[in-house]
Amino acid sequence: MSGKEEKGQAPTIVVQSTRFGELEVPADSVITMPSGLIGFSRGQKFIMLEHKPPFSWLQCVDDPNLAFVVVDGFEFGEDYKAPPPIGDPEIELKDDDEYAILVVVTVRPNPKDTTANLKAPVFVNLRNKRGVQIIFDNPNLSTRFPLWNEDTGQATKETDQSKNEPDQGK
Amino acid sequence: MLILTRKPGESVFIGDGIKITIVEIKGNQIRVGIDAPKEMRIYREEIYYQIIEENKQAAEVLAGSEEGLEGLSVNWSSRKQGAGKVQTEAKKETESQGPEVVVKRKKKKD
Repeated sequence: MSGKEEKGQAPTIVVQSTRFGELEVPADSVITMPSGLIGFSRGQKFIMLEHKPPFSWLQCVDDPNLAFVVVDGFEFGEDYKAPPPIGDPEIELKDDDEYAILVVVTVRPNPKDTTANLKAPVFVNLRNKRGVQIIFDNPNLSTRFPLWNEDTGQATKETDQSKNEPDQGK
Repeated sequence: MLILTRKPGESVFIGDGIKITIVEIKGNQIRVGIDAPKEMRIYREEIYYQIIEENKQAAEVLAGSEEGLEGLSVNWSSRKQGAGKVQTEAKKETESQGPEVVVKRKKKKD
């Protein structure tokens, strides 16, 4: 976005992560969450790493051990009522700012038990790359929305162990 | 803990910026009004603890459960095609797949 080019190379930073090892990422991709995730105020800087769609990892820059799986909130469609926190002082979100909604996922060993916390998504202001986790007072939003859909049936077979990767992070 | 007695309509100030008003008493429920600066986040206690607990569990992705995400990824995409209901909202924020802030995972060479 900034037209500046330093020797044609965007500045990068190196991030240590327990799960993915050492990562080099563009410095401007760092998301700052001044309050961290609720209950995790020690982690204020994060990067996002692609995973199998629709999942991404939110990897903490300050703490190699801290990482969350997230889903793009727009994946849930119009039924997901998550109004952006316009005017929020932490991310300074304005009406015409573009933003991302990151829904935090609780991954369970059995994928059918994996859930998404629709009640408390993270909003990221794409203009300043600042993020905040918002708790909605809406009682219809679940903290444990099941991501697995039984109706698709055949997908069950595809979770077999054919992809038994040797690398087992902690 | 400081304990004060108030009647409906009466308030308490906390510092300069926070005013708590007892709005109404109805049976065993009390309606409380809170005037506070926007940066103060106000939560019902039980929901606050619930979110902390869920965040804690989300931070503990066990080894091996990542494979489950692959199955879930397949399941999710077939749901989107099948049901048609859960479609990505056509907003300017979502023209690319996933949020823009995503960076490619790139392992640094040792």
